[in-house]
Amino acid sequence: MFMTKAFLKTIASLAVLVTCTPGMLRADDVQAPASTRFQNADTDETPDFQRHLVPLMGKLGCNGRACHGSFQGQGGFQLSLFGYDFDMDHENLMDRIDTDAPADSYALHKPTLQEPHEGGKRMEIGSWEYNLFLSWIRGGAAPKSQDAATLTALEVTPKEIRFSEAGQTQQLKAIAVWSDGTREDVTCLSRFQSNDTAICEITDSGQVTAGESGDTHVVVFYDNAVVPVPVLKPVSDRTGDNYPQVATSTPIDEFVVSKLSKLGIIPSEICTDEEFLRRVSLDLAGTLPTAGEVRAFLSDQSPDKRARKVEELLETPAYAAWWTTRLCDWTGNSDQQLNNINPARGNTASSDWYDWIYKRVAENVPYDELVEGIVVANSRRPDETYREYCERQTRMLRDDATETFADEEGLTYFWGRRNFRSTEDRAIGFAYTFMGTRIQCAQCHKHPFDVWTQSDFQQFEQFFARINFARNGSDRKEYQAMLKELGVEKLRGGEQRRAISTAAKEGKTVPFPELIVQTPRLSPAQRKRLEALKAKGRDVTIPQQTARVLGGETINLSEIDDPRTALMDWLRHDSKQLFAKALVNRVWANYFNRGIVEPTDDLSLANPPCNQELLDYLARGFVENGYDMHWLHREICLSDTYQRSWRPNDTNLHDERNFSRAVPRRLPAEVAVDALAAATISDDKAAQLLEETSKRAIGLPGIPRNRSAGNYYALSVFGRSIRESNCDCDRSSEASLLQTVFVRNDETVHELIDRRDGWIRQLARGAAASSGRSGDNRKVEAARERMERLERNLRRARDNGAKKQIESLTRQLRTLRRQLADIEPEPSDIDLDVASVVEEAYLRTLSRLPSEQERAIAADFVSSSEDPLAGARGLLWTLINTKEFLVNH
Amino acid sequence: MALHRTCDGLKRRDFLRVGALGATGVTLGSFLRLSEAGQVANAARARSAIFINLPGGPSHMDTFDLKPNAPEEYRGEFSPIQTKVAGIEISEHLPRLASAMDKFVILRGVSHTLAAHRLGSEYVNSGNRPLPSLEFPGYGAVVTRELGGPKDLPPFVSIPNSAQRAGYLGVKYAPLHTNATPQPGRPFSVRGIALGDGLTLEDVEKRNDLLGKLDTTFAGFEKHNQLLDGLDRFSQQAYSMITSKRAREAFDVSKEAPSFAEKFGESPFGQSCLLATRLVEAGTRFVTISTGGWDTHRDNWTRLKERQLPPFDEGLAALLVGLEEKGLLDSTAVYVTGEFGRTPKINQERGGRDHYPRCMFMLMAGGGIQGGRVLGASNDTATEPAGDGFSPDDVAASFYHSLGIDHTKEYHTNTGRPVMIVRNGNVIDELFA
Repeated sequence: MFMTKAFLKTIASLAVLVTCTPGMLRADDVQAPASTRFQNADTDETPDFQRHLVPLMGKLGCNGRACHGSFQGQGGFQLSLFGYDFDMDHENLMDRIDTDAPADSYALHKPTLQEPHEGGKRMEIGSWEYNLFLSWIRGGAAPKSQDAATLTALEVTPKEIRFSEAGQTQQLKAIAVWSDGTREDVTCLSRFQSNDTAICEITDSGQVTAGESGDTHVVVFYDNAVVPVPVLKPVSDRTGDNYPQVATSTPIDEFVVSKLSKLGIIPSEICTDEEFLRRVSLDLAGTLPTAGEVRAFLSDQSPDKRARKVEELLETPAYAAWWTTRLCDWTGNSDQQLNNINPARGNTASSDWYDWIYKRVAENVPYDELVEGIVVANSRRPDETYREYCERQTRMLRDDATETFADEEGLTYFWGRRNFRSTEDRAIGFAYTFMGTRIQCAQCHKHPFDVWTQSDFQQFEQFFARINFARNGSDRKEYQAMLKELGVEKLRGGEQRRAISTAAKEGKTVPFPELIVQTPRLSPAQRKRLEALKAKGRDVTIPQQTARVLGGETINLSEIDDPRTALMDWLRHDSKQLFAKALVNRVWANYFNRGIVEPTDDLSLANPPCNQELLDYLARGFVENGYDMHWLHREICLSDTYQRSWRPNDTNLHDERNFSRAVPRRLPAEVAVDALAAATISDDKAAQLLEETSKRAIGLPGIPRNRSAGNYYALSVFGRSIRESNCDCDRSSEASLLQTVFVRNDETVHELIDRRDGWIRQLARGAAASSGRSGDNRKVEAARERMERLERNLRRARDNGAKKQIESLTRQLRTLRRQLADIEPEPSDIDLDVASVVEEAYLRTLSRLPSEQERAIAADFVSSSEDPLAGARGLLWTLINTKEFLVNH
Repeated sequence: MALHRTCDGLKRRDFLRVGALGATGVTLGSFLRLSEAGQVANAARARSAIFINLPGGPSHMDTFDLKPNAPEEYRGEFSPIQTKVAGIEISEHLPRLASAMDKFVILRGVSHTLAAHRLGSEYVNSGNRPLPSLEFPGYGAVVTRELGGPKDLPPFVSIPNSAQRAGYLGVKYAPLHTNATPQPGRPFSVRGIALGDGLTLEDVEKRNDLLGKLDTTFAGFEKHNQLLDGLDRFSQQAYSMITSKRAREAFDVSKEAPSFAEKFGESPFGQSCLLATRLVEAGTRFVTISTGGWDTHRDNWTRLKERQLPPFDEGLAALLVGLEEKGLLDSTAVYVTGEFGRTPKINQERGGRDHYPRCMFMLMAGGGIQGGRVLGASNDTATEPAGDGFSPDDVAASFYHSLGIDHTKEYHTNTGRPVMIVRNGNVIDELFA
């Protein structure tokens, strides 16, 4: 009721254009600021609770988090945090108001320090703030009236600020436009914030002062309006006519360069072929290119080879696997949250989830259709009974199943996660996943950085009230009957679960959980039951008749079978395009170290994009191209902007915000772990990496319950997403000491370098073959294989503290080592072509040829090592420990 | 109609805190005297900490909170014994801890409401009741962030692993998991720290030298980029850690004098305790030890007396005595807890006890905490605290307090949300009295 769609549109567009309505009111129709009107104590005007008093209390800091906005209140007095609960605020304030003797009101004595006030002095007696407060009390201290006008726009001027030197100032002016047609200068009642205080500071009265060069936004808050204003100061004098000709081959480049030209930033050159191949392979397909690929790409002379490479990568399973991983991040695929969600032994749910998405990404199903499969997922097919559904699901668990979960129409598990059960969690999780928006603040108070109020949240929550993920299905009788047939009805909890798993494994039909949409109308009995539960303090939400999409229409839920269809329609058709923007922004961040909106899951008014036109273009194009994910990747990867070198020039050395060069970024956890494996693996195995992803880290479905165990350790250390808290920050790309310790010295890495199908062994084999000792080769291989097995067992035994086993294994290993020493070729016999070893080592790690100087240093190291193989090993170790290896650049 | 002011001198919050103490025997008068003497605020003495987690949830009624006079369906099979401190009794299967009673404090009647392992564990490992929208950092992450760590040792080590995560503080505060426990008298090699198979110190130095020569692509640009600069710094630190004798020896329990090591026994838990004392001695800031098997839904008493309690008793007593022998007890905060207690009423069907968060015990020692006391109490059947009881948040606040960390300090999460280190706790001042 506080906002209309039109209002929101207006607010959103204010940042880019000044609203000019036909027959615009003349300036003198604008009410003068309260600071002028209440300069004098004896004014006749009575201020308004919503328009003046609550904003004033916000301005004075009364309803801040550390003060009376705290959920416990302060000194026995509580106000709503960030002030949008007018009823509560009025009620609490009235205890401190004396309308008979207004000046004696406790509420005036405290902030003027006539009474001790822990919050200190907030205003002077006789100031306009004081006079305003006093006049409101004198006028009867009325609350917000029931039919009060609503704020339709907050017009802020200037609409954009361009500074030329530090220290310059600019005053902002804010005009509130109310639905009854009144306009008021509310600058003195607005709150202001600078999004980057290094670029500019802003005072409480709205004066902006220029700081360092660069760009950011200042944000103006009044009532529930949030208006960002761009502030910019060029980094060089090369702006306007002075800006050099920069070729722009794609629309992306036009929008990026247009912004850069305002800032006087000149973009970096286009990167080399080697850099492009490494960068795009890692970004698009999560895979380090092999030495062979690098050679082939470098020798390809055709002008369209970069475009062909992108097409080639888009068709690889590695592309599908990497983007499935990302979609699993955003949708929250985690074993922990899916514990016991289906009767299969072990956790098949997370792999089902992964496979379901993988199939669609591999087939390039349009993104909106993929999401529709999640949003309106149903367990049963039309006209299917609960038993038929369970029979079908049980069949899928069999080894000879012809149908798999990936063939199901919907990804029902999304709705069955433990952290997606309550309507609040669903509202928050839904907005996070599909709209890249954080509405959790509005669960408890007015969103401080966006328009959302608690009532918006509560009305949105209603969409989820009728969706039930029923662990035991919705057909109680049939469920009980099935338990009886299995003979497990008397068992409890875990025992019953295990018995059901066993039965399922034997091919018997077992009960499955199902996702159901409850009937639109609650029967009186149902409502009574829910109300009774709520009275007992249980966390239930009683379904209401209507729900409202965020900032949009109210929908009559009793008229639709499945409220989620309305949500899906809204995702597709909402004019703000949050649905499309959230995805293009997240995909963009995958390529550029940061999103156009950053953080990528915080699309809010107070956090505007650094390049609005660019985001709009991509979102619009994505929708117009039928949500084609290939289109989006192609559009980005083929732009000059993506293909720029990381090497900075004088103007863009400090730019990490406007995409004027490539910003070095640490490889994501899965990609880093896979890259370590790829860099150390033999040539023939490396050639399969793009095709065979099931054993790779990018092929890993969920988040295991123990995140520090075994192979998962490395992924934890490198910050693989924990998929837990509705935040893109669940994935980390920070560097850490443990990561460096891992690559330098972890047993896992030493083993990778020396493993049987590794490159070092390949070199040893090749050298042995050429020195004519290949006859023994098979024996040596067999012995080594056995040794690795023993070493593995020994590690396990050590972990379990099995003493006897440890002793026996250690003995066996000792004997085997002696035997091996007899038959293995002497390392010093090995004859390696040092120059080619150096070149191969560079190609397989840094995806480039070494420079002359590097060749010399590396060759010297290899030749001076005790044997060439040890030298190659040392060189490989060194190269994977360079920054250049671990960083995409 | 102006409001009346509250009582002079005391703010509302202080008043509530005194109220809570009142139930456990500290009067307002003594509280004020303590405050005046400065003992409430300035007790912080610890520079490092050892957190011992007992996953599964140990039975409070069979260990540190026995009720020999409770009805049979509650009581259990064990008898209490006297400890070194007159008036304090604990289980007969904890004889060594009974003799070391003067070194630690038993908190009884600690209480919360999360009866699932994972939630309870997250709660006691962070001091914050879990929220679905936020992962709280474990104690070790906060402590290493606040107090830093030595140059050539990992600041935060978990033996063999830990439920404490870096949470919203980010991966750089995550612990090094040893993933194994040391064997008595054997060199213990930890992943990443011990030199890999066949690698000598000389090899490492040679490689490091080569790395210095070849890692030059970003030369000159590093200082303009946070990531590259960070990678350089971590690289140097990792090198000194791997090559430092101090780090390798800190992890090597076989370097400990047999006369000292002996009392820790041969159990994995005892050896973990020995390793923890070595690490703390070498300068590691925070060590966690995790030792499971406490989820005794069945055969509670057999399992406790045969498997769980003997090594626990031996290891923990040796840790406390050992720290004191090395002069480290005062500068090391020790905190021992499971995720909950167990049902006082015996599950007759299985001969066990089930999850019970409403009443549990915790142990604290070192870091200015005066041992030899029981704080708080449970009722006659150990089913609930007598009085207000303590919350895990209070204990967490106290743990931080002993390390000189203000638990009300605010961090900002990645979403910009301000969060206090411990959101709802109050320091239990009596611990430091």
